Amino acid sequence: MAARWSSENVVVEFRDAQATAMSVDCLGRHAVLSGRRFLYVVNLEMPSEAPRKIGRQSKWDVGTVQWNPHRTEAHLFAASSNQRVDLYVWQDGCGEAHTSLLGHTRVISDLDWSWFEPEFLVTSSVDTYIYIWDTRDTRKPTVALSAVAGASQVKWNRRNQYCLASSHDGDVRIWDKRKPNTAVEYVAAHLSKIHGLDWHPDNEYILATSSQDNSVRFWDYRQPRKYLNILSCQVPVWKARYTPFSNGLVTVMVPQLRRENSLLLWSTLDLNSPVHAFVGHDDVVLEFQWRPQKEGSKDCQLVTWSRDQTLRIWRVDPQLQKLCASDIVEELMDGLTLATDSEKTLRSQDSEAPLSPSLNADESHDQQEGVQSSLSTSSRHDAPGLPQTLQQEFSLVNLQIRNVNVEMDAVNRSCFVSAHCGANRVRLVVKFPAQYPNNAAPSFQFVSPTTISSSMKTKIQKILTDTSLQKVKRNQNCLEPCVRQLVSCLESDIVSASEDGTNPYILTNPVTPALPAFPRVTNTYGSYQDANIPFPRTSGARFCGTGFLVYFTRPMTMHRTAPPTEPTPRSLSALSAYHSGVMTPMKMRSESQATLRLYSGSPTRTDKEQVSISSFYYKERKSRRWKGKREGTDCSNRPIKLAGKVIIQEVSCLLPVHKALGETYVLNVNDIQDTCQKNAAAALAIGRRDLAKVWALASAATSLDLSPDSEPDADTPWARHPFGRHLLETLLDHYSHMSDVQSLAMLCSVFRGQGSPHDSFTLYGHQNPRSSVLALHHLRYPSYTSSSVTSGSCSSTSDSTTTTWNMIGRDSEHIPPWGESSPDDYRYGNQVYTDPREREKEQHDMNKRLLDPANTLQFDDFKKCYGEILHRWGLKEKRAEVLKFVSCPPEPHKGIEFGVYCCHCRSQARGTQCAVCKRFTFQCAICHVAVRGSSNFCLSCGHGGHTSHMMEWFRSQEVCPAGCGCHCLLQSTF
Amino acid sequence: MVSVINTVDTSHEDMIHDAQMDYYGTRLATCSSDRSVKIFDVKNGGQILVADLRGHEGPVWQVAWAHPMYGNILASCSYDRKVIIWKEENGTWDKMYEYTGHESSVNSVCWGPYDYGLILACGSSDGAISLITSTGDEQWDIKKISNAHTIGCNAVSWAPAVLPGSLIDQPSGQKPNYIKRFASGGCDNLVKIWKEEDGQWKEDQKLEAHSDWVRDVGWAPSIGLPTSTIASCSQDGRVFIWTCDDPAGNTWTAKLLHKFNDVVWHVSWSITGNILAVSGGDNKVTLWKESVDGQWACISDVNKGQGAVSSITEGQQNEQ
Repeated sequence: MAARWSSENVVVEFRDAQATAMSVDCLGRHAVLSGRRFLYVVNLEMPSEAPRKIGRQSKWDVGTVQWNPHRTEAHLFAASSNQRVDLYVWQDGCGEAHTSLLGHTRVISDLDWSWFEPEFLVTSSVDTYIYIWDTRDTRKPTVALSAVAGASQVKWNRRNQYCLASSHDGDVRIWDKRKPNTAVEYVAAHLSKIHGLDWHPDNEYILATSSQDNSVRFWDYRQPRKYLNILSCQVPVWKARYTPFSNGLVTVMVPQLRRENSLLLWSTLDLNSPVHAFVGHDDVVLEFQWRPQKEGSKDCQLVTWSRDQTLRIWRVDPQLQKLCASDIVEELMDGLTLATDSEKTLRSQDSEAPLSPSLNADESHDQQEGVQSSLSTSSRHDAPGLPQTLQQEFSLVNLQIRNVNVEMDAVNRSCFVSAHCGANRVRLVVKFPAQYPNNAAPSFQFVSPTTISSSMKTKIQKILTDTSLQKVKRNQNCLEPCVRQLVSCLESDIVSASEDGTNPYILTNPVTPALPAFPRVTNTYGSYQDANIPFPRTSGARFCGTGFLVYFTRPMTMHRTAPPTEPTPRSLSALSAYHSGVMTPMKMRSESQATLRLYSGSPTRTDKEQVSISSFYYKERKSRRWKGKREGTDCSNRPIKLAGKVIIQEVSCLLPVHKALGETYVLNVNDIQDTCQKNAAAALAIGRRDLAKVWALASAATSLDLSPDSEPDADTPWARHPFGRHLLETLLDHYSHMSDVQSLAMLCSVFRGQGSPHDSFTLYGHQNPRSSVLALHHLRYPSYTSSSVTSGSCSSTSDSTTTTWNMIGRDSEHIPPWGESSPDDYRYGNQVYTDPREREKEQHDMNKRLLDPANTLQFDDFKKCYGEILHRWGLKEKRAEVLKFVSCPPEPHKGIEFGVYCCHCRSQARGTQCAVCKRFTFQCAICHVAVRGSSNFCLSCGHGGHTSHMMEWFRSQEVCPAGCGCHCLLQSTF
Repeated sequence: MVSVINTVDTSHEDMIHDAQMDYYGTRLATCSSDRSVKIFDVKNGGQILVADLRGHEGPVWQVAWAHPMYGNILASCSYDRKVIIWKEENGTWDKMYEYTGHESSVNSVCWGPYDYGLILACGSSDGAISLITSTGDEQWDIKKISNAHTIGCNAVSWAPAVLPGSLIDQPSGQKPNYIKRFASGGCDNLVKIWKEEDGQWKEDQKLEAHSDWVRDVGWAPSIGLPTSTIASCSQDGRVFIWTCDDPAGNTWTAKLLHKFNDVVWHVSWSITGNILAVSGGDNKVTLWKESVDGQWACISDVNKGQGAVSSITEGQQNEQ
């Protein structure tokens, strides 16, 4: 009776423990239960004894607790509590926390002691880091693996001391602790969160993942795109762990509606039905661990802790263990009878003990058949765990090694290994005995055209035999390690030979290390390699031009596959789910084959290419709305709109600037009053009453009655009045907050025009204010004035550094009397005033302005920015008007610079002398003397000469002085 | 009132990833998973397909128009690791330059302010940012910031051209001494600000607030005020507004605009920098505006492309 042979268990209740985690030590003596107030250490030899307690002060529950798995450190265990890990020592019946590992910034999700180094512990956390700690130096982690995503599980590989795996939502990452920057492999394992992760105890590359998506999957991480096998359950799987005996697996489900609290034992060779159910717990099983086998005992013991506050110990005898194994047919047959036996028994007990929900009466019959059929064929069955047959080994072996070729022949149980390294050639026949790899080593024999020396042959033979024996003793495959040994042996031989300086091949055939262990497949869209490529945007909005909002959204007909509560995936690798049927989401299973084909397709090239971002959205729509209509028709016949419309909206009403105002605003420096009034009317016309008032205020403030006296000793200037500069500053401040650059720029322009002191234009005689302002700017920044466009386009000097415009511009900066004319110059303070009157006058000039000269630069920025907006509106003249008021130079004009081609050798020349022929580059058409200094050219015919000569000539003539017949005056405006 | 002035049916064969109008608002460029970039003339509410640019071998993520003073130039970036710069000459669009210097998907392209010349920043999933500068004569100069963001760079956005306060008057004839800066966002959850010093790009600031990948950054246009503003959005659903009043650009303060329920993909500033458009995985577009007292408020909601921008509150209208 099945229930009988496993029900010989120990049940101990710890009513007050409230423990969240449990761990069994490596000696099998103790189990620790971690409650919030105490840690309970249970003596597993006498579990009913009152447990010893270790007090703890924390408001956090213990997340994970684990004994050190090394016998030498068996007294040590680690417990995580929120962001920290406490290390406890258990000695002589009492324990204490002796140190803490602090480093994580958020809650720790898992911890695991290294299987190889007793001091090393790895922790994972929601804070996205995985830390490896050396307990001898607890100040900080020795290695930090940055995963970007928070991890839920982390586990050391049991065979490779550098390798570890972590789970992040539905992904698994494989790390090499020596390469902490990035994971060595990504496995997009599940579509939902992974709850449990477990490495195969014997195979370095195989691991099992259990997930919220109701499945356990088995992976060889060298083939991350396809799982080896899947165990489908009806409920989310909390944990799935390999058994210490071969081919077994124990799972715990996340109970949902039904109270399914049993642990299930499976054979990894047959995942159709569980081998056994451990029935007894009344509540969720929180933790289960295997107690190490006692000396001389063949039984295994499973220790479980449940929320029902009981600790149970289940005996798993060799017969039950054999149920999971497959190696010998007799045992299998034994197991078969046993299994059927147990099925019957389990079924008969249905009324008493609730079993797995799948085991209802109808199904169990099917399962029974399934068991039989699968067992009878199990010799050919693909093992998800360790590859047992030669064929499996051949298909899984990774032999992408440079210079090595392996021909495998599974039928004859042999293979040929050819390797060449430098001048050496090796060809080996490897023969595998029938019992291989169960303690039966293959034979190695050199065949022609092997070129190596006989001593070398002996050496290699020994190495290969040693390697293979080492492996098969543990019933492990040995082909790959042997081939690698062979290669490294050959290479080291070459290196040593070259060190003697006798091998000429070292240069032509440099030793190349074996290819990385993870050969990458070619990139396909949305594959796991796209884990760092962001998930594409399918909607977006952009402000464009001045008042447009352009936006697009996902078409209404496309819905998200995931429920709306689930956030949109982060990375493009989420699409890998749609690459192949392998990753078909669970919900798809129920749909018809036709739809399945469309979305999941076989992983052929064309299908891969069809994977697109739309696959992510496409499906739900189909399954929901179109399934009925489409039945029986090929979906691809019907074009589906995947692109939505792009909508352009006029949103200028939301903006503080108005195109209408840009068009109607005027800037007449001759009559500021009039300008203000007109602008007030314009503002009123478009409904900006606030601006109308502002313009009225501006009009008042610029009234001629208030114009400042030029003498410092006269009245306090109006600018010093509260309604002067202060008022203006308040206004500017207000419109700054509203980002109304239009009002800002216009106000600044108007008040700058107004504020210019009259006496600064004395150099120009009695000109009216407008022309003087214009003249000033005209001279300094010709490129922005409209009049400058027509002037001077042809004038240049052959000495390219001085143009007439620049000469005046420069003078304005360097001639001191001009200092008063430009507000900029005040800010430099580079003039030294010897006369105190001068200084006072300057102070007065500053004071009488309504715009604070200290902020001129900022006011210029307003104008430039507004100028840019006017440009976008296509109001170029208005822009030029505003930019006239910029005091600081905008970007210097770098339009046309005349290049000169040497008139003798036709090479491009700079300056007056040709660099190539050393002659003067350019002769005057009138006097035939080389021109240096001021000159003019005709843009059409290229002739010209000294400016004075040209002026003279064209005063009376119309055609070119060179006699080319060009009407220079008409062709190019002088 | 806000009004839809045009609805463009792009006829893309797959989902659209970006749409942008040119400087004057007369042309629309769109890009899609169907590997194409399309340009439409959208003057006066019409839609005329001007060009269907084929050249990318993967989905095209983003497009960017250059300033018109350099001609009609459009840059596009794609999953195929390429950046293509397209130029219209005599009415036909052609490849002007193809940049293949990235090792993974290029996620974002952005032209610098026209004052700097023709300069394009590209952010890629290989973690690097490239700066492609036209040196004239169809020649391009490449500068690459390797490992700008661990794991990957998702967005780049240039700072407006502002002259440093200390250098007021530039000697005429020389290039003004702009301090070139741009912001980037990446999978390290950071927003970084980069600054050019002596021709080298250096990390200037690191802005930390997001708890997941930063999906977009937007440097607000300047209207001449000394404050710099950056908006950033992330997979974590948060949108932050970063401001810096310090002329040296060293102290940035973050303000949470809003926490959305799903990833936020894109932020875009209005030309005056006072309205922010936010869009994300929830398929919605919202507009946000800063009130006079510095609070950000949602002023409209463009839901699933159904309706126009609606419900501008009375208060905001009065503010106008």
